Amino acid sequence: MLLKNLLVILFLSFNIYCFAQTGTLKGTITDERTGEKLVGASVSLGGTTIGASTDVSGNFTINNIKPGNYIIKANYIGYNVISKEITINAAQVTTVNFKLVINSDALQQVNIVGRLPNETEAAAMANERYSDNLKNVVSAQAIAKSPDINAANVLSRVSGITIQRNAGGDDAYAIIRGLEPRYNNTLINGVQIASPDSKTRLVSLSIVPSELLSRVEVDKTLTPEMDADAIGGTVNLVFKDAPEKREINVSGTIGYEQLFLDRKFIDFSKANISTYSPFEINGQGYLALPNDFTRSNLDFSKINPPPTETFSFNYGERFFEKKLGLEIGNVYNNLYFGSNTEGNSGSWNPNSPDHRPKIDDIITRNISSRQILNNFILHLDYKFNDKNKISLDNVFLYSRLEEANFAGDTSITGGNGGRTVPGTGPVSFNRQSTTDNQYVENLKLAGKHVLNNSFVFDWFGAFSNAFRRVPDQANISSNIAISYNPSTQVFTKTPEYFDNITRNWGHNEDKDYDISGNLAYKTSIKNSPLEIKIGGLYRNKSRYNYEDEYVLRPLANSDGSKPVFSNIYTSQWTVYNPLGANAYNVNNYDGFEYITSFYGQFKFNLPRLEIFGGVRAEITSEGFNIRQDITNAQGVTDNYTDILPSLNFKYKLTEKANLRLVYFSSLSRPAFFELVPTTPQSSGGSAEKGNPNLKHSTANNFDIRYELFPKGDEQFFIGAYYKDLINPIELTYVSSGTTTLTQPQNAPHATVAGFELAFTKFMGNFGLSGNYAYNYSDVNDAHKIDRLNPFSSNNQPNFVTEHRMLLGASVHDLNTSLLYRNIKRKFNAQLAFQFLGKTLIGTYAYSGDNYIQQPLTNLAFSADKSIGKHLTIFTKLNNLLNTHTKVVLYNFENGNEVTKATYLVGMRYNY
Amino acid sequence: MKTLKINLFIVAIALLATITSCQKEKPKVIIPVLPPSNPITAGNISGFIKGTMLTGSTYTVTADVHVKKGDTLLVQPGAIIVVKNNSQFLIEGVFQSLGTQASPVTFDSDTHQPGTWGGFACDSSQAVTMKWTKVLNTGGPDNTGGTRRTLVVAAPVKVDIEDSWFLNGQDDCLGLFKGAQITILRNTLQSNGSTDGEGINIKSGATGVVAYNVVFSQAGTGIKLETAKVITTAETNVDVFNNTLVSNGWRRGAAEPGRGVSAGVSAKGNIYNNIIVNCYHGIEIFLDADVANVKYGNNLFYATANTFVDNTPLAATPPTPAVTVDIRAGFYPAGAAGVAQASDVISTSTATGNPLFKTFDNSFLNPNGAANNNDFHLQSGSAAIGKGSTSFTIRNPSLLGGVTPDTDMGAYPTDGNGNKH
Repeated sequence: MLLKNLLVILFLSFNIYCFAQTGTLKGTITDERTGEKLVGASVSLGGTTIGASTDVSGNFTINNIKPGNYIIKANYIGYNVISKEITINAAQVTTVNFKLVINSDALQQVNIVGRLPNETEAAAMANERYSDNLKNVVSAQAIAKSPDINAANVLSRVSGITIQRNAGGDDAYAIIRGLEPRYNNTLINGVQIASPDSKTRLVSLSIVPSELLSRVEVDKTLTPEMDADAIGGTVNLVFKDAPEKREINVSGTIGYEQLFLDRKFIDFSKANISTYSPFEINGQGYLALPNDFTRSNLDFSKINPPPTETFSFNYGERFFEKKLGLEIGNVYNNLYFGSNTEGNSGSWNPNSPDHRPKIDDIITRNISSRQILNNFILHLDYKFNDKNKISLDNVFLYSRLEEANFAGDTSITGGNGGRTVPGTGPVSFNRQSTTDNQYVENLKLAGKHVLNNSFVFDWFGAFSNAFRRVPDQANISSNIAISYNPSTQVFTKTPEYFDNITRNWGHNEDKDYDISGNLAYKTSIKNSPLEIKIGGLYRNKSRYNYEDEYVLRPLANSDGSKPVFSNIYTSQWTVYNPLGANAYNVNNYDGFEYITSFYGQFKFNLPRLEIFGGVRAEITSEGFNIRQDITNAQGVTDNYTDILPSLNFKYKLTEKANLRLVYFSSLSRPAFFELVPTTPQSSGGSAEKGNPNLKHSTANNFDIRYELFPKGDEQFFIGAYYKDLINPIELTYVSSGTTTLTQPQNAPHATVAGFELAFTKFMGNFGLSGNYAYNYSDVNDAHKIDRLNPFSSNNQPNFVTEHRMLLGASVHDLNTSLLYRNIKRKFNAQLAFQFLGKTLIGTYAYSGDNYIQQPLTNLAFSADKSIGKHLTIFTKLNNLLNTHTKVVLYNFENGNEVTKATYLVGMRYNY
Repeated sequence: MKTLKINLFIVAIALLATITSCQKEKPKVIIPVLPPSNPITAGNISGFIKGTMLTGSTYTVTADVHVKKGDTLLVQPGAIIVVKNNSQFLIEGVFQSLGTQASPVTFDSDTHQPGTWGGFACDSSQAVTMKWTKVLNTGGPDNTGGTRRTLVVAAPVKVDIEDSWFLNGQDDCLGLFKGAQITILRNTLQSNGSTDGEGINIKSGATGVVAYNVVFSQAGTGIKLETAKVITTAETNVDVFNNTLVSNGWRRGAAEPGRGVSAGVSAKGNIYNNIIVNCYHGIEIFLDADVANVKYGNNLFYATANTFVDNTPLAATPPTPAVTVDIRAGFYPAGAAGVAQASDVISTSTATGNPLFKTFDNSFLNPNGAANNNDFHLQSGSAAIGKGSTSFTIRNPSLLGGVTPDTDMGAYPTDGNGNKH
């Protein structure tokens, strides 16, 4: 709203220079029936570019209007447009009030060819209120005011959503209603995106900065016209659209991490990194030489990093009598972040009577990351007339990560001895440098055609491409041993020995081609509107994955002994596998998926009841090819068809309250790599192996929600859900020799249930918004080894079945924000608090124990203040409580990760 | 089966014949000569193979050889197998290499350089028998750059390896896991492991007997017993006796010293009558072993010098101080559960407890693939003679393969009942 006001002021000020004698227009816009003040409604003066939107009290003001007669239009999403003729006199205030009537047609989605104001909080609420399915919407405006800097932060505040992060914090995926990212779907502008990940279907939400987003929608129930592969829900990232009036936004921020005030940032040289592996450069059969491998990317140095900086720009306008709309934008981020982790691994304890895990290892890990994001959007649309429109959207996301990862690992017990007293033991070090370049592009061409009063046809064709290249991920390992002599009380440290170097080149590409068409037919039965819609989609998805690894081993000293490591430049090595691993690498595979889907749906509007339902069919052909071991399954194709019905009831209890009842069925397909049965080398530790017999998961989902909209900017939701998953996919223990192997497996069945509550309430300048989700899940894990009796007489593991929650699920998720807004002083502030209950993040091989992330509390603060007409200064402060992410196994800390607070200040210029 | 029964019948008659006629003249033993099953023609082989590799034939392995479950690959005495292209044997069926003292079987690469072929991946095999077989220069990396053991079994099957030679591999020599039932007798393991790798690495519930073996100049530990961090098998439980372990554990550096014999991570067993000379550490029983059930004694510890000075660190840039290793302090290293036993012969100086090998170059650290010109037979006057125990209770009597502990220590007891090499 503030933005809109600023925009208005901007245009008005432009007028000041031209016309000395002007008038003012004021008024209020309310709902005709309820008298509710409409926030974010827009008014425009016909024949001019002048307009305004209403503030939180439903009031609007337009200054500096040239005297004359005008047609003024009031417009609000879901309401009929009202026009009035007015006369503006010089130096006078004219007051016009509007009472808008809800347009039930318009509210039921789409047959408006044109644009609704969709970046405001009010629009987001209206979207939630009038949509056919259950959804949560976060507006661009809300994001701008929040402490959030990317889509992952934004989503973490949505009711029932938590974020799964990898160690180091560069990847972030949404867990919706306790269902892992695998059960959820991510869209850009309504189209599924290709994944830059080498194994999964996921796209990290942290590579999507918030500035170019128009809104983020989370669909928690599906309609037949939506892709069915979302059991938890669908995240739709909607990027900016062409505005009705010219809009230019420029913003920049600068920030710093507490982490790098407390310790140095670990840097390495990127200058000599070879984009291609020796195999790729020289071809098949080339025997790599020691000098084919650079040294400088293993030369680490400690620096004080420069500040984090971001820049964004977007411009939108309509041309040719508003027929052609344009929006372009760019966001550039240069971020520095990292983490410090300490933890312990544990193993079965033969000496304790209950055989619970005992600490066998101490791990420390420091990560220093620099990430560059450079995203571009382009939107073009052309309205031929009120009935025909085509649009083109292209979203291009680029991410480059440069990461130094230092790990130290001290054995307490184990193969080569352990510690005798604290401070002693064999220690192995791993120092790794990674550069990771990702490109995600989503191009969509869409059209909508109102054929006549009854038929509307829309279509889209989309190409989504994700490419990732990780050139020369280099890892050097070395080791020392520290011993203690109790008689002399002296600790002795051995020299550091050079163990091994691995060099890894990987790239992968995901390509999606989509084509879709939908035909809607509108009629009415006894004055009750009925809409019938049919449509279909064909998606061709392909995945290419390449990885090559070279192993460099220390050149033994002339006497045969292992060399001491002191310096990467003086280290001598031999190439252990000079041919490279290339085609034999476990990550070398092709995957494909062809999906053909059809649906039919109807919507019937009785005066108070809306019935919406239909059925969708998805025909899947999914498979892979591998190029390795001839004794493995090399190519597998799995064909299956799902028939997925759904039915929604929306009952208007009052004009301000709805009750919704929903049933839908949905599915989740295995990730490509989960099918690939390559066995990783038995190098010890743990590894994951694919399962070609894996079945896709399906679910029956039930939802009930009560929605209350007391005022335009206030809302209250309470709802409950129940999901029954068939063949859920869970990563479980399968076997151990020297390597402990885990494999994705189908549990027969899982249950998820919970309730959610969300509210927004304002009192004067203060507001409180919040949400709470309680989640219960239960799955039978049949692959737990009985810790009391781990093996049978023939040395096979004794498995027991154990009930537990789903991986990734949290029981409690609470978000609250205290908001302060002072429109007069153009000041906003927000204090955001988050509580996340215990989360299951991993299963332990034995019965009775699992890896549990401990409850987290998080505090963030943001504030913005407008100065003058165009300028806003703002600050976003995150992780103010220095929250540690702690994972506990039995009675000890498996991991304790610290990322520390981040500080950011910025300036935004709106024109 | 039928042929086997007939065979046994004939053998029984022949035996009977020898017993009844022993007084008169040299009996005529009639051994019926049966044609080999599925004879494999000399020359290039690769892919899925079963049948018999024939005496006197030379085979060239050009790519990985697979033996499928249910199939048998049998190698007759004197067959020579040359492995090219870093190939390996992948055994899921039965593998039998049946050399004889007079006519051993040989597996080697075409280049005869250490680390130039893949060895035997018998992870899920049905049975492995190896007699009088030379396995040379294994340990080339697998296709993904992973290390390869010379021979690995990870299944609860019989593994019988006798009188064979394993020379110049690059990683673990024998990896015996997951409930394998092992009889490892009278073998020579020599100069294996580049800068890592154990000699006989026994884990995850393997049981059996390791006796009369010589392990010389292994990079890591000579004989290592462990169960696993994730227990899905019974504890590893092995009788380790009468082995000679010399100059082991030096090539991994001071941060990961190798041992003559070690027991750790829930393993148990017997460790008796072994001779341990010039190893980095002697016998190490880790605190996480099933300490109460690791029985040991009557072992001989000797060193040809009181200390070994590892000057390698001086060569680094910048130089780090040399490491001086007190060998005698490492016979039973501090911080572990193992302690000197009254029945042990523990050398306190170069003059005491000397096993008096016929020849020994007194080496500590040798390069991977170094020649072994030593003769570890005992001279008269050896401190090992008559100090062995024959009274400890064997844990795996069914896997003894006909041997018993000797009154002398080491692989070469003076009664000649030990190692034949």
